[in-house]
Amino acid sequence: MSLLASLMWLASGLSVAAEDAAKTQLEGSKTYAWDLPEWAPRPTVPTSNPMSKEKVELGRHLFYDKRLSADGSMACASCHLQGSAFTDGRPVSPGVTGEKGGRSAMALVNVAYLPVLTWMNPLLDTLEVQALIPLFGEHPVEMGMAGREQDIFDMFQADARYPDLFERAFPKEASQGPEALYSLSTLTKALASFERALLSFDSPYDRYKYGNQYDAMSESAKRGEALFFGEKMECYHCHGGLNLTDNLKHERLPFPELGFHNTGLYNIDGKGAYPPKNPGIIEITGHAGDKGKFRTPGLRNIAVTAPYMHDGSIATLEQVIRSHYAHAGRAGGKGATNPMRSELLVGFELNEQEVMDLVAFLNALTDERFLNNPEFSNPW
Amino acid sequence: MKSFNAFIKAFHHAAWVSATVVAMPAFAQTQDVTIRFAAQVNGQPFECGKSYPDIGTTRSVMTPSDFRMYVSEVHLINRQGQAVKVELEQDKVWQLENIALLDFENAQGPCRNGTPAMNQTVRGRVPAGQYQGLRFTLGVPFARNHGDPTVAPAPLSSTAMFWNWQGGYKFLKFDAATSGQQSVMSPPAAHGGGSASGFSVHLGSTSCASASKTTAPTACQQPNRVVVDFPAFDVNKHVVVADIGPVLAKANVDINTPGTSPGCMSFLGDADCVAIMPALGLPYMDHQAGKQQFFSVK
Repeated sequence: MSLLASLMWLASGLSVAAEDAAKTQLEGSKTYAWDLPEWAPRPTVPTSNPMSKEKVELGRHLFYDKRLSADGSMACASCHLQGSAFTDGRPVSPGVTGEKGGRSAMALVNVAYLPVLTWMNPLLDTLEVQALIPLFGEHPVEMGMAGREQDIFDMFQADARYPDLFERAFPKEASQGPEALYSLSTLTKALASFERALLSFDSPYDRYKYGNQYDAMSESAKRGEALFFGEKMECYHCHGGLNLTDNLKHERLPFPELGFHNTGLYNIDGKGAYPPKNPGIIEITGHAGDKGKFRTPGLRNIAVTAPYMHDGSIATLEQVIRSHYAHAGRAGGKGATNPMRSELLVGFELNEQEVMDLVAFLNALTDERFLNNPEFSNPW
Repeated sequence: MKSFNAFIKAFHHAAWVSATVVAMPAFAQTQDVTIRFAAQVNGQPFECGKSYPDIGTTRSVMTPSDFRMYVSEVHLINRQGQAVKVELEQDKVWQLENIALLDFENAQGPCRNGTPAMNQTVRGRVPAGQYQGLRFTLGVPFARNHGDPTVAPAPLSSTAMFWNWQGGYKFLKFDAATSGQQSVMSPPAAHGGGSASGFSVHLGSTSCASASKTTAPTACQQPNRVVVDFPAFDVNKHVVVADIGPVLAKANVDINTPGTSPGCMSFLGDADCVAIMPALGLPYMDHQAGKQQFFSVK
């Protein structure tokens, strides 16, 4: 081998070694078999909660267990139904006391890729912490377990299935005794692990785009794709990327990407305000410029997650297009365009065919395998 | 990187002992180079959270929310006037092959949809020697511009900097809220447009022929890359300033032309681009390229 060739071979070997070193530092996910197509990047996972099949299985039991609510009437799955991509088909949802939440239950499909959770809280960045809110929150009361966590732990210990599931999922905690094994830490870690396993990348659009199946999408949907990614409608500016949202994190991104936008849905005082119950992330940040800003949701399986927007106030996809975005925000359609709306929203004219094509494209994001996958269903 | 070079030096030395005549790449005779960039608005340092007055033809007040760009094909000009390639450090975050992402926003305040980390330098190596000038391209090379950011390595993995496979990446992404005409309540024109709450400058290749918006093209009629030449640039003394103020000087940032992208996003048929593209040094429709007024040396 010539000297130059030897050096180049050596250089390539060293760079592969460096890449391997980087890969082995990926937290925990190297031994867990993610159910992902080859082209899809893997989610990142907190170092404190590496994935395992056992955690996912325990989390699945917890997710569907109504005994995690004060009156035994609600489980996570009560507002997060698999057939609706893990939302519930309601604008907002009642808790155990009947008090209604302010914002629509999130669709949990591909939640592992979201750097920030829920509509209106830029600080909420892990599923482990988020799980505490529906379980123990009081404003509003959802599952109503504030102050009653010991009841939950006692229930686990006494149950026929849980001790074995917990021990398999958390062997280290198992060796530390029941107080370590049945705790808020293991409870939320298991729930988070189950949620991270909820992966959907097998829609007609995926098969068309990544699977080279040119017939997987209708011609109408292909025209809709052109509209979606085109300059007239600009949908992709916020609803682009892997999960059709500008909120993204995964192993190939050095930093998470975030997107909070004011879409001009409301303008109740003429100066940009939203209803007081859902003012936007200004509630957390205090910045005047954050009025009306909400996190962009992903659009995978969007056809099954009606009604739409953060408060479920738009019933159909067609209405989202016609009565909201076409007018640079629904408030614009009522003669009061929100002056604080994102500058990306300028409104557009579109004909019947274009509406149908765009809806056909959005329908092509539905992954039937995900919606029916028994691995995500009720194990009880 | 350092230990790799040391290893190569040792290997090189050992090889010389045994080899006869060999054409050696000058691995052992290179020097580090750092090219510094700074973002400004009309001479004032760019900073997330600041507002800037007197922007454009309406003397609007502008509050930026993003300012990022890709540069590529960075060369230093040697004493013989030859352009010598700067081999970029492959840092797996900001630099890939001959492409670098410069990021002047820090995700604070209005820039909340950005990333906390910033990057204001291009770092690499050149053969040891004396240099007097700098050349670089604003843009991503065609061969890398139309891939899938889902599978691309950083910094091409950023979906914020991506348009779609047909159009490729945003070579320059500048977004700002403008003081606009907020007292105007009327709905936008049926085709969109009218008073704008903000203005964007997104530069990228246009008229790229491909089968669909999400397949790569064979060529783009308007590549819209800008080659920038500074014959007198000393890396140790000078900084490349990127000032968006002069680019917007002849634009009206308070109004968006109906039926067009908000601001100037390089697409044809947008009156908002007529003032902006020539100021970037690019032709636009039947307007000739002007002298680029975005980059300067300080």
